[in-house]
Amino acid sequence: MPKAALRLQAVRVGFGVAVVVLVARAAQVQIVDGASYEDTARSQRTERVELPAPRGTIYDRNGVPLALTQTTFHVGVAPGELRDTTAAVEAIAQHLGLSTRRIRQQFGRKYAYFHGPFSSNQVAPLREIRGVHLTSELTRFYPNPDFARAVMGRPAAPGRPASGIERVLDTLLIGRPGSAVVLRDQFGRRYESPSRLDAFPVPGHDVFLTIDAELQDIVEQSLAEAIDRLEAIAGDVVVMDPETGELLAVASRRADGSAPASVFTSVFEPGSTAKLFAAAALLEHELVGQNDTVWGEQGRYTLGSRVIEDETPEGWMTLRDVIRRSSNIGIVKFASRLSREQHFEQLRDFGLGTPTGVEFPVESPGILVKPSRWTRWSAASLSYGYEVAVTMLQLAYAYAAIANDGILLHPTLVSSVRSPDGEEVYRHRPEPVRRVMSAAVARELRSMLRGVVQEDGTGSTAALVRYEVAGKTGTARRAGPDGYIPGSTTASFVSMFPADDPQLVIVVKLDDPKGGFARTSAAPLTRSVLEQVLAAQTSALDPARMQGVSSRPLSRTVLQDGVFPYVVVWPSKPKANVELERRVPDVLGLSFRRAARRLHQMGLRVRIEGRGPIRSILPAPGTPVSDGELITLVGEEGHANR
Amino acid sequence: MKLKGRSWVAVWLLSFLGVLTWVVARQTASHVITTELSDAQQQRSALEAQRAELLRRIQEAGSRAVLVPRAESLGLRLPADSEIIILQVPSREER
Repeated sequence: MPKAALRLQAVRVGFGVAVVVLVARAAQVQIVDGASYEDTARSQRTERVELPAPRGTIYDRNGVPLALTQTTFHVGVAPGELRDTTAAVEAIAQHLGLSTRRIRQQFGRKYAYFHGPFSSNQVAPLREIRGVHLTSELTRFYPNPDFARAVMGRPAAPGRPASGIERVLDTLLIGRPGSAVVLRDQFGRRYESPSRLDAFPVPGHDVFLTIDAELQDIVEQSLAEAIDRLEAIAGDVVVMDPETGELLAVASRRADGSAPASVFTSVFEPGSTAKLFAAAALLEHELVGQNDTVWGEQGRYTLGSRVIEDETPEGWMTLRDVIRRSSNIGIVKFASRLSREQHFEQLRDFGLGTPTGVEFPVESPGILVKPSRWTRWSAASLSYGYEVAVTMLQLAYAYAAIANDGILLHPTLVSSVRSPDGEEVYRHRPEPVRRVMSAAVARELRSMLRGVVQEDGTGSTAALVRYEVAGKTGTARRAGPDGYIPGSTTASFVSMFPADDPQLVIVVKLDDPKGGFARTSAAPLTRSVLEQVLAAQTSALDPARMQGVSSRPLSRTVLQDGVFPYVVVWPSKPKANVELERRVPDVLGLSFRRAARRLHQMGLRVRIEGRGPIRSILPAPGTPVSDGELITLVGEEGHANR
Repeated sequence: MKLKGRSWVAVWLLSFLGVLTWVVARQTASHVITTELSDAQQQRSALEAQRAELLRRIQEAGSRAVLVPRAESLGLRLPADSEIIILQVPSREER
């Protein structure tokens, strides 16, 4: 073979080998290791980011927004990128409301940062300035930050746990974050691409509270004004709809202006407002007749080594007189007819000593001691509201049962919940807990409460001119860490309005008000609230239903005095329909404790057989049952086969 | 007609250019959409901020803390319950 041909052959072979090596290497890169190279490349030029979901809006019962989510911005400036530093400083100062000195100080750094957060309108004029970089963030916005603050609470933030409704309903409000892939350049800057959106963020559910914004405003303002005027340490007001268990207004305030959630968490001895509970037990067990009387001992009664006193000396009294005059001696004498168990069970049936289960993160159960631990004085003390401690909510809850013909309803703060597409996924229906007393007994108690607000009753200062109010005063000694504080009282007033068809139960409490007594502090505050409610046309009160209620005729002097009546026009609203029919809930899989608690809350009695996981329920889940029916929970172990 | 070498090159070049043009057009369109989307988002957040601010002002102006002193300064007062007459408007079913 000629030399040239040999060389050519060698070149060919060399090229061939090179091509084979090249193809082999390409195959290795593209096929064998392709996936890992692809991953590396993708991670270098793309980044997956989480798109935060807007938190659901919280409204009042009438659709007034109380908490909403809006986009806010943090502003970063790279001074080196600015074309006209002076103009940029002026624009930032003008639109963000910052001092030029502070901005120039920040501009001395490589990257200036203004945390804000600033609203979209504030940053809009800065968008076009080269070197200004905006970072968006979703923030919670409260149109009126002090409005029902303790109830609303706040979502969790760094260094601060969530609180209030924002905490309880967090899983509903929070929504589902979306995700997107953004492109990244060699400097780490992100570039959005519409085709790289993986999942849209789903906003949280919207929640409608039972709170009536207008009523809440009335209550908050009246309470603040009363605390100032009466130089009280603190005060609370709860307004509840007794037919539905809905809390319409919840206000707490201390003299320093703070607003703790004391309606749910602080307990106090209710004093004379608890006399109604003893009266309920006496009537329910038919231990007192209409004409039965007890001797009032002229205001001073020695019971063993203890002296019980009344504010005013009284003679012979019926139970109705005892309630009207708020006689401690009278109720102690009547309550002595009750056995310990009867008295205790009645208090427990009213919900004392157990949390109500309202949708709030913390709630005190109050204090109610079992009869086995009572002292010889306990029965007497309990009858006029000592040796028992309640929250404001429990007191409203218990009186609402009297207003609601004896049926205790589960209290609630949540009226309805709507999904992001507007579908209603939950609506509150009145949820009976149990029947505390017969409807006849409840009517009798309401009739007694009307007497309290009449001329010679202790609550006469709560009386309106035209419409009748039913209520009960309570003035109790205030306890501190070292026992009762001399001269310090808790003044409370529980009322129902209107008296013969209650639409509102209002509980007012003032801690250590000037004058000390409920009739000069809590009762007038109640009247002030009611007058404002009547004038305000708030939907919390349905004036249409007041057409049938008993009212005093307008006096001629009022109309002839040149005073023009204030006319309220209101469409009629149907009365809430509470059904007591209930079915056995499916508690299989729950612990005995939780199952029993749930059944008790529904007003059912429970018998437990065996141990371990619940194997069966008798009657079977779903079976219609009546109030107080016995439900048997059978455990896996140690039971007789049945 | 059978295509010759140069023609093939031209066809391939044109195809390549076509594909490139299509890719660039898509990228441009996506850029326009991104800009429009971003503008819409900015506009929406600006409107939401405006709405929130208006809500705050409405609630503040409508609160009793503001209204009552103003009403009192005009010589108005809260009507007593005896001065309130409730007229019931019949419901739709009742009419």
